Amino acid sequence: MNISELLKSLCEADNPADIAANQLRLLGSDVDIDPLGSVCGTFFSGEDKPTLLLDAHIDEIGLVVTYIDENGFVKPGKRGGVDTRTLPASAVTIHGSENIRGVVCTQPPHVKKDTGKSVSLDDLFIDTGYSKAELEKRVSLGDFITPDVSFVRLTGNVYTGKAIDDRAGVVAVLYAMYLLKEKHIKYNLRVCFSVMEETGGAGATVAAFRSKADFAVAVDVSFGKCPATSEEETAPLGSGVMLGRSPVLDAALFSEMKATCEREQIPFNVEVMSGKTGTNADDINKSRGGIRTALLSIPIRNMHTAVEVADVTDIENTARCIAAFIEG
Amino acid sequence: MTDLLKELCAADGTSGDEAAVRQLIISKLTATDVTYRVDPLGNLLVEKKGREQAKNRVMFAAHMDEVGFVARYIDKTGFIKLSAVGGINDDVCFGRRVRFGNGVRGVIGGKPVHLLRGKDEADKQPKLTDLWCDTGVSTKEDLQVALGDTAVFDNDAAEFGEHAFCGKAVDDRLGCAILIGLLNSELPYGITCAFTTQEEIGTRGATTAAFTLKPDIAVVLETTTACDIPDTKGAEQITRLGEGVVVSFADGRTVYDRELYAYTRRLADKLSIPNQTKTKIAGGNDAGVIQESASGVKVIALSAPCRYLHTPSCVVNLDDFTATKRLACALAEELPVYG
Repeated sequence: MNISELLKSLCEADNPADIAANQLRLLGSDVDIDPLGSVCGTFFSGEDKPTLLLDAHIDEIGLVVTYIDENGFVKPGKRGGVDTRTLPASAVTIHGSENIRGVVCTQPPHVKKDTGKSVSLDDLFIDTGYSKAELEKRVSLGDFITPDVSFVRLTGNVYTGKAIDDRAGVVAVLYAMYLLKEKHIKYNLRVCFSVMEETGGAGATVAAFRSKADFAVAVDVSFGKCPATSEEETAPLGSGVMLGRSPVLDAALFSEMKATCEREQIPFNVEVMSGKTGTNADDINKSRGGIRTALLSIPIRNMHTAVEVADVTDIENTARCIAAFIEG
Repeated sequence: MTDLLKELCAADGTSGDEAAVRQLIISKLTATDVTYRVDPLGNLLVEKKGREQAKNRVMFAAHMDEVGFVARYIDKTGFIKLSAVGGINDDVCFGRRVRFGNGVRGVIGGKPVHLLRGKDEADKQPKLTDLWCDTGVSTKEDLQVALGDTAVFDNDAAEFGEHAFCGKAVDDRLGCAILIGLLNSELPYGITCAFTTQEEIGTRGATTAAFTLKPDIAVVLETTTACDIPDTKGAEQITRLGEGVVVSFADGRTVYDRELYAYTRRLADKLSIPNQTKTKIAGGNDAGVIQESASGVKVIALSAPCRYLHTPSCVVNLDDFTATKRLACALAEELPVYG
C-alpha cells in the first residue's frame, strides 16, 4: 500500500467513499454503508473480545449552490468551516450532472477599494462562463462545490492538496489495517469512515451508536507549524503522530498510546486541549453509555484551504501507532 | 488559436523574466518575410515585410510578461516571504499554489482560520506580507529557491463554460497570440511588432521598443478590465464579456488619438465586428509610453475584456478574442494614412 498514492486518489476523488470501501474490502473487511452514508468495515468479528472503533472522517469542507442569478452567476453557501479569506479568484468544481469549472468572482486591482476587511461569503459569487439557461441544464440548487486543485508533491515526503483534512486520517486507518493483516489481535475491530464531521459530527454520532464499541480511536488532522503560527499551538510537520490529551479524552487510553509510541520508537507530540477537541472524538465518547476514546492527529498546514500541506511520514507513524496499540 | 493561447499561457514569465515566453513566441514565427531581434530589455522586435511598404510606420505591440511573485526573504525553516511583481490584490494570494522557474512548487499559506483570536483578527484580510510560501522543506539549507527567484500562479489555462477561456497570464498572452497570427499571415503592408517586457511593473519594455522601432502609429493589443459581475453595476463594470473588442478613447494612463479611435470604431462597424468602449477611465497599458516616445506616436488600444485580471483565473470570452483578432487584422490591412 503506497500512502501518497492512496492519499492522492482520495483527495482528488469525486467519490472518496467508494475508494475507501474498496480498500477495506481488499484488506478483507466486510463493508456496510450506514443510513447517513458512512463507510463502515468490520474486521476480526465474532469472537468474544472487546470492540474497538477506529474513526476518520471521509467528508471535506466545501460550498453548496444556493442560488443562480439572472446572468448565471452562482451564489454559494457554506459546507463546514471553509476559510473564506482564501476564496477570491480561486478555482472550484461544481459537482452538477457533470463537473463544471468555476472561478470565485473578485474585483481586479484596477477597480477594487482595499478595505482591509476579510472577505465574507455573502459578497462572493461563482462564475462558470455559462448563461443561466445553459448552467441550469447542468447544475441544480444544492449541488456541492469543492476546490479545483490537484494533489501534488512539494518536496520529499511533503504533499499539498485539498481534503487532506481528513483523508490523511482515512489513509492512516487503512494503512494500520494493512500493517495488521494476518496478525492475531485482542479486539474486534469496527472501522468507520464517517460523513458530516465538518457540519457537526452527525456521521460519527450514528456510527459510534451502531458500533457498540468499548473503546474508540478517532484519527483527524491538527495544526502544523508554520511561521504564521506559534510553536505552542502546533506540531512541526514530520514530527510524528500527535497524541490528544483533553478532558473529553480517556486518560488511560492516552497513557497506553504514549507507552506504545515509546516502546515502538514512534515519534510523537502531545497535543493538549482544555475541553472539546473539535473532532469526532467529542461525539463518539458520549455515545450510548459512554465510549473511552483516544484522539490521534496528523499535523497539517493551512487547514480548511485548497492548499493543505502534510508530510506522509506523519500518516505512516500514525498508522504504526494504531497498529502497535491494537496488537498490544 | 485557442490552442496557441493555451500554450502561451502555460509559459511562465513574470516581469523581467520573460525569456521562456520569448523563446516560445520565436518558435511560433513561421512566415518567411519576418526578421527579429531582442533588445537589451528583452523586448522581441519583429519586422514583417508584407507585399509593400506602408506610407506610415506601424507598430503592433503586446506584452509578454505576467504578474507574479519574487522571493524576497527566506527564514531559517525555509519558508519564503514573497513580494508581488505587478499589481496583485492581497486577497487573491492566500491559498494559491505557485511555481518557481526551476519547477519547485509552493503554496501561499498563513494562520489557519481556527487559530484566529478575537474579532479583530478574524475580520482582517491577511496581506501578502502576513503570508508565507511553503515549499515543503524544513530548513533553509534544503530550499531549492534563492532570493530574487520569481514564481507564477501554478495554474492551467483552458476552455471554460460556453465560449470562454480561463487561466493565468491571459493578460497579455492573448495579445501575443494575435500578434503571432498577424505575423504568420500574408499582409499587404509591412508592419513591425513589439512583444514587450515589464509592462506590469510600469510599461518599461515598451519605452525602449518604441524608441527603437520609431513608429508613426501604434496599435496595442491587450486585455482590459471587465467587472461585469454581480454587485458591480452600470459604469463600474467598465467593459462586458461577450460584447466584443474594446476600443478605448481613454484609460487611466492615456488619451488615445481621437481620429484613430473614430477610424477604428468605424472600421469595426463596417466589418460588423462587435465592439465596445470602456465606461470608466481606469487601467493603463503600453500605449501610454509609446505615445510619448521620441517625436510622438498616434496610439490606439484593442483589448479583449477580461474578468479577474491579475489573478490565477483570468476569464475571457472566445468570441471577444476573435473580434479583437479580426479588428487587429483589419487595421493591418486597411491602415489609416497620416501626413
